[in-house]
Amino acid sequence: MTDQASLLLKKQLKELTKRPVDGFSAGLADDVNLFEWNVTIMGPPDTLYEGGFFNALLSFPNDYPQSPPTCRFTSEMWHPNVYTDGRVCISILHNPGDDPHGYEVASERWSPVHTVETIMISIISMLSSPNDESPANIDAAKQWRDDREGFKRKVARIVRKSQEML
Amino acid sequence: MEDDSDYEDSYVASDVEDYPTSEDGDYGYDPQTEPEISMRRAAYTVLSEEELKLRQQEALQQVMQVLSISEGEAVRVLRHCKWDVNRVNEEWFADTEALRDKIGLVDEQPTGSGRRKESCGICFDEFWVSEMHAAPCNHSFCRGCWKGYVHTAISGGPAVLSLRCPLPDCSAAVPAALVTAVSDPKHREKYHLYSLRSFVEDNQRLEWCPAPGCENAVEALHEVSNEAMDVTCRCGSSFCFNCKEEAHRPVDCETVKKWIIKNSAESENLNWILANTKPCPKCKRPIEKNQGCMHMSCSQCKHEFCWLCLASWQEHGERTGGFYNCNKYESAKKRGDYDAESLKREHARVSLQRYMHYYQRWAENDRARSQALSSKAEANDKKLEVLSEFVATPTSQLKFILDAWAQVVECRRILKWTYAYGYYRFGDNIPDEDTAQKQQQGFFEFNQGQAEMFLEKLNGVVEKDLDNLVEEFKREPGLSEVAPDGSVFVDQASSPERQAVWSKFREQLIGLTEVTRMHFVKLVQELEKGLDQLLAFYSEQPEAEAEAEVEPAAVSTAEASGSATPAQQATAKAPKRSKRSRISSRAAADKASNSAAAFSLQEADSELEAEAGYWQCRRCTVINRDLNSQSCSMCAQNRRGPISAS
Repeated sequence: MTDQASLLLKKQLKELTKRPVDGFSAGLADDVNLFEWNVTIMGPPDTLYEGGFFNALLSFPNDYPQSPPTCRFTSEMWHPNVYTDGRVCISILHNPGDDPHGYEVASERWSPVHTVETIMISIISMLSSPNDESPANIDAAKQWRDDREGFKRKVARIVRKSQEML
Repeated sequence: MEDDSDYEDSYVASDVEDYPTSEDGDYGYDPQTEPEISMRRAAYTVLSEEELKLRQQEALQQVMQVLSISEGEAVRVLRHCKWDVNRVNEEWFADTEALRDKIGLVDEQPTGSGRRKESCGICFDEFWVSEMHAAPCNHSFCRGCWKGYVHTAISGGPAVLSLRCPLPDCSAAVPAALVTAVSDPKHREKYHLYSLRSFVEDNQRLEWCPAPGCENAVEALHEVSNEAMDVTCRCGSSFCFNCKEEAHRPVDCETVKKWIIKNSAESENLNWILANTKPCPKCKRPIEKNQGCMHMSCSQCKHEFCWLCLASWQEHGERTGGFYNCNKYESAKKRGDYDAESLKREHARVSLQRYMHYYQRWAENDRARSQALSSKAEANDKKLEVLSEFVATPTSQLKFILDAWAQVVECRRILKWTYAYGYYRFGDNIPDEDTAQKQQQGFFEFNQGQAEMFLEKLNGVVEKDLDNLVEEFKREPGLSEVAPDGSVFVDQASSPERQAVWSKFREQLIGLTEVTRMHFVKLVQELEKGLDQLLAFYSEQPEAEAEAEVEPAAVSTAEASGSATPAQQATAKAPKRSKRSRISSRAAADKASNSAAAFSLQEADSELEAEAGYWQCRRCTVINRDLNSQSCSMCAQNRRGPISAS
């Protein structure tokens, strides 16, 4: 399994370095470990996060691509679907096995055909449209719903912070 | 749809089949079944793992033929419809497209030529198309990636049975054939296990036998209702099809559930604490007063206080009328301050005692049932052989002893549950005005008592009396000699005297088994019909009740005289004496069975026999198929009359 995972990750890394995708950049966190990636996500244009550069850590399991990686923001983040410790909560990063509703939403769950690229695209789309139905950060979700101005101010602050960190 | 020849060795047990008959008509004890007592038909089949697979295959074949679909598709459709073939037909023909869509059946897509390479969508390596696999949607992935995908899903649990194509936007179902083709033997086995389990667990008519280690399932042969239905698996364990608890007829599932929760709940401890302790006024720990004086000091916080008024001992001097004259309590009680509290305490004490009463009886019968079960096994293993030598009778003719044990086991079980029933049916305090309720309680307890008395008697005869008899036989000189190595040498031509004693005992036990069975049948019937109706019914037939009340006295006297014969005195003289006492007990048992059968049970008798399709001679135990004949075809014994001497 590990062999397959390393091969696949190596292949994807090569592909991403050769042909970078708009919106994020990716590289190994530690040159000898293929299973830990550092990614930098550019705040998508026309959203509250525009202009920000957010760092995140992607950790792949040994049985990748059968199981999904986890993604954790290392930059400060304020978003209804990101836990206060930075962990990203989106459905495609969930194992299909722990889906209590069966196959109905299987298409939104993890599948081995997902790649770093598709994961990052999902995270970027999460930034532009938060889902406050199943929030990971309840305070952020509440503010997003009830106090949009306050939410905007808070996000503007973390965007500025992320620029200063560069 | 059912081909009987396929299921020859699955038997259909109806509750009235107390003595399962084998095909040649020879009655015999079948260790796989316990006699069951009930009036309602409970038709079911016990299926082994092999038979289950056969059934599953049969359902698949049927669906495949009717809908002309592949096996993989049939599995999906059946699973979706909870393995109900009728429902499959209904849903399929109502809206085929919607159903296909819902469960992910897609039309087979054309596969390209195998002689070209394509990239696997998971590992991005190039493979010959012919080496790749795909669900009917034809989204190909390499074998290695399929394997990983399938294995991960199998490890994830039974949800693998609804596995879809790995492509997120494709909902095509992955057929079982593909799963088995790419998985290794260990995972494949697990997959098949899930598939079989789905057949049983999703199917409303099938339930696993809950006994540990038993892999059989029980199939209900009729529409499943939410009512209690006792079934007996081939492994010998009985359980309720509806609630999976142990068999508990005639009590309903709800009562059993409540009772079991109550038995395990901590609430009874709390009740005890409430009834027997008071909290320390300072640290609030419960204190049980175990010494006489009212001056308490808490063992935990050393607080000193008065047990009566719970006030600190310091302010308990002259002001309250002396240290040991706590009139504060009296005046407070007069004002009504403590009434609610002490009432609650008193109430808790009473209800705890009441619960203990029922629980002890429930638990004792439960224990007695286990003991009877092991005694039955012991009798089967050892005792029958010893006995068969003593009385020169083949063990096959001694099955009636096992029947008696089986009856004891079954009756203990029923009796046990009637205590749970009694606990819930009749409240803590039935007010005197509620005569109907009082009457019902009295009636229930009378019947319970009757049934219990016969059961005790039967238990005594099959256990103690039989042992005594064997002891007696052992002591009789000349007929059998115990060799130094423990083996018994027996003169096959046993004395006529012994044969007479033996046949008396045999008849007594058979009669008693039957009478006990009848009493429990009656008890079960009554509880299932409901007490209200029954009271109305019986109030029209007062004589029957009176008659039933007379017989216990007769039997208990007989028992007293019967068991009063000490086994040690059974010397040369003893046979005569014990014979006499046995005759008297025989007579009493005859009388008991007569009056019971003749009056209150005759109707139940005929009903049972009609349902079973035979009647059993109470003397020689032969099965009579002619329901209209009044005398036994074997020994000419009158069907309902007193058992005549042989």
